[in-house]
Amino acid sequence: MNAILECKGLTKSYGGKKALSDVNLTIERGRIVGLLGPNGSGKTTLIKLANALLTPTLGEIRIAGMEPGTGTKKIVSYLPERNYLSDWMRVHDIIGLFRDFYGDFRPDKAYDMLKRLNINPNDKLKTMSKGTKEKVQLILVMSRESELYLLDEPIGGVDPAARDYILETIISNYNPEATIIISTHLISDVEKILDHVIFIREGQVVLSSSVDEIREQGKSVDGLFREVFRC
Amino acid sequence: MLGKLLKYELKATGRTFMPIYAALLIAAAVTKLISALTAGGSEVPEFISAIVYIMILMGMFVMTFVVMIQRFHKNLLSDEGYLMFTLPVEPWQHIVSKLLISVLWNLGSLVAAFLSIVILTFDEIANRALMLDLFAVIAEFLTIFGPTGSLVVLEIFLAGIATTVFGILLIYASIALGHLSNRHRTMASLGAFLGLTAFAQILFACLTLIPNVRVLQHYMDTLQESLQTSIALFHYVMWFTIGFFTLLSAGYFLITNHILKKRLNLE
Amino acid sequence: MPWDLKPDRPIYTQLVEHIEWMILSGVYPPGSKLPSVRDLAKEASVNPNTMQRALAQLEEDGLIITHRTSGRSITEDSEMIQKARIRIAREQVSEFLEKMKKLGFDKKEILSIINNMIEEVGK
Repeated sequence: MNAILECKGLTKSYGGKKALSDVNLTIERGRIVGLLGPNGSGKTTLIKLANALLTPTLGEIRIAGMEPGTGTKKIVSYLPERNYLSDWMRVHDIIGLFRDFYGDFRPDKAYDMLKRLNINPNDKLKTMSKGTKEKVQLILVMSRESELYLLDEPIGGVDPAARDYILETIISNYNPEATIIISTHLISDVEKILDHVIFIREGQVVLSSSVDEIREQGKSVDGLFREVFRC
Repeated sequence: MLGKLLKYELKATGRTFMPIYAALLIAAAVTKLISALTAGGSEVPEFISAIVYIMILMGMFVMTFVVMIQRFHKNLLSDEGYLMFTLPVEPWQHIVSKLLISVLWNLGSLVAAFLSIVILTFDEIANRALMLDLFAVIAEFLTIFGPTGSLVVLEIFLAGIATTVFGILLIYASIALGHLSNRHRTMASLGAFLGLTAFAQILFACLTLIPNVRVLQHYMDTLQESLQTSIALFHYVMWFTIGFFTLLSAGYFLITNHILKKRLNLE
Repeated sequence: MPWDLKPDRPIYTQLVEHIEWMILSGVYPPGSKLPSVRDLAKEASVNPNTMQRALAQLEEDGLIITHRTSGRSITEDSEMIQKARIRIAREQVSEFLEKMKKLGFDKKEILSIINNMIEEVGK
């Protein structure tokens, strides 16, 4: 079975509101996929469901054929939009934590990337700027050799140079057995590295297409997005 | 995995408690020292030092309570929860690791308090005599219980653990129940706390008063008559307490686990 | 040569064109070894899958050869290369002629402008 992520009739409601409504998706391995949509469209909900941080109201979601849980957490590497690291820790400490809990974590990769970005592993997270903390989180996530990477707004709060480095890291880490799903609203920046895009609006999938198909019609993904989501 | 969680929990909390314990013991030592040095003179320095010591002592117990709540709420149900709940670990392991470490610090604080008192009352002559007296009293007390004497120590220990665990899980369950609400989570947690406490009290009343009425009646009547029945009553009460709090602890654990496993909703 | 990828055309076709230019203009001379797919993708800031497609296309066109054990290299077949050069030249000219026609120039005017420009640029 080649699909790394499958959703069948996936629905999530909170009270009366439907955050996701009857979502059907199949995402193959070895792809870099863009999950695109405006704020509140359900992207983060979908990602949280994949991480077992939420449970479906209806329908199902499967990662490599498994229901989200401890088994899937071993093979899924998640970068949330927020800062999730304990302030009192040093970078060394958090690397130790990742190494302890994740069998697929490669500390040498992490230290390498930290060096490239001039981040001192002895620094306490408390003393770092928001942008630096985000870089550390990204490094931790990309230093795992996982089967599915879920990146929620990975380039949102960073400067353009760091953005390039992040995209470069994503490309270098590419592995034909793994899939990367990037949720973002900065489409023109990431377009070139995406294989496939999914447009999501108000909890429903409105488009699922390869990037080539879109461009063969003479549009950029960014352009099509603006059309589809015109205010 | 549980071992690793324990390791990190210890690391995260140790940095708060070790300094406090050290401060407490130092404050006790300093007070003792000042007392010895200013003997016969002004009592003010000793008084001030004693106040400081007491403040640290109270602070220590408050911190034990505060840290217990904070570790559960901050580390699991706020931003850090995004890290914790994506680790390949079952939710029950999170609960158990935090529970065990909280129990550890509860015991630790008691031990630290005890040691600090020993330091304060460290007076060669009186102490040795006092200790001997103390042991004699305890030994005599235990012999009253006859063959079941050693059991008493175990019972007291288990009861202490059971009530501590109960208290901690009560708080965890309250926080978890509060998490279910979308807004005003703090208020909801407080409400849950009151509710769960009330439930525990009502349950206790039901279990003790109704079925036990006759048993208690019987024992009360025969209390004066026989030492044996008093002893039996004591054991009965102890094991009832242990069983009751263990049962409730299990219930509160299940509630907390269910919420973390199936009803998690991190912002 | 900077990889200048336009947003409204498929990336892999642009990659094919860009690599062709690099081959024909001598950046990757005949017989030389090509960097790995991953390195090329990094350089161009594109998805390795897409780069892979572009290279596959170039292989089909005969400009690139894949060796089982030692990666990819540029063909040494000068006929192939010449064919490609001419094809691209024709594409450029055809584009140029289109534009000139739109501006309303006739054959004689076009040739005269070309001759003048060649003289000028030659100096």
